[in-house]
Amino acid sequence: MIRRLSIVVAIAAFGLIFASLAISYTEQQSLRPLAESYVRRVPQELGAPNIITGILLTYRAFDTLGEVAVLFMVAASVGLVLGAGHPPRSVSSEDRPDEAWPSSEIVQSGAQILVPLISIFAAYIIMNGHLSAGGGFQGGAVIASCVLLMLLAYPQYQPNLEFLSIAESMAGALFVLAGIAGLIVAGSFLDTRILPLGQFGAFFSAGTIPVLSVLLGVKVGCELSVILDGFRP
Amino acid sequence: MIESIGSLLVLLGAIFHFSAGLGMLRMPDAYTRMQAGTKASTLGNALVLAGLAIYHPGWGLKLFIIVYFVLMTNPVSSHALARAAHGIRIPMAGDTDIDALRDAQRKAGGSM
Repeated sequence: MIRRLSIVVAIAAFGLIFASLAISYTEQQSLRPLAESYVRRVPQELGAPNIITGILLTYRAFDTLGEVAVLFMVAASVGLVLGAGHPPRSVSSEDRPDEAWPSSEIVQSGAQILVPLISIFAAYIIMNGHLSAGGGFQGGAVIASCVLLMLLAYPQYQPNLEFLSIAESMAGALFVLAGIAGLIVAGSFLDTRILPLGQFGAFFSAGTIPVLSVLLGVKVGCELSVILDGFRP
Repeated sequence: MIESIGSLLVLLGAIFHFSAGLGMLRMPDAYTRMQAGTKASTLGNALVLAGLAIYHPGWGLKLFIIVYFVLMTNPVSSHALARAAHGIRIPMAGDTDIDALRDAQRKAGGSM
């Protein structure tokens, strides 16, 4: 009885809080000064219709680099924690005690149809990061979902971990190299204007923003795939 | 006229979604809840998106791709979930006698 009463009181309190938030909300009619300056400057200076990607990969690109580094550390520590209790990879799968069940034919057929679709969608998200909603992080997560589907449909499937780590390191190194090139050619670290801005809204435009998006997508996709592989039974 | 047809389809889809929610609440065990959620929400999704396509003919191709994706993923994922539930022997509702998957596994011999 007391438990039910406390649940009712909690729900009522939540309702009160959200009701007061909803009532006091008024839509802002004009942009704040900071937002306005970004909205004006990103299409002008960077030639990117998607303002968010422009900010993330130029003005705050150093921050993005830090985020990717954090993700790399997460991948490494997940591998450390989950990999400790496992027999080494060289042990053949028949000898491992808690073997995953084979998945059914329906799941495997579904995976065969869906994996190409998801891959195309991921490439689309990454390549259109500077034009519409999307970008490297999101596309990388979609790539990792592709790997997850493969792991679910084919429990024996082994992503090539060496290739993943090499691709990831290459992407990270190229990202930093692009930043240094910006420092030399254009004037600041990770300046995207070392390539011509091109026509506003075209596929090849906005300097190195698409290139950085692709590098980020490869890096994030590889890191998340390594994390997912760590959860294999 | 065309707009009202689109609205009618969206409404029909909403009714199916409602029945999916009702099924989730009212069905007796995990498997029947799963099939209520999957069947009704797949059809409801397709109907809502078809209604939108009539409303905005320019979006047609994209909406068709979304419907295709839902038709591909929703039944497959619910099938995988149901098999996993069967695999860890989640009990069925009291008066269920037929278990085709168990019979098929017995016939195949050994535990799959």
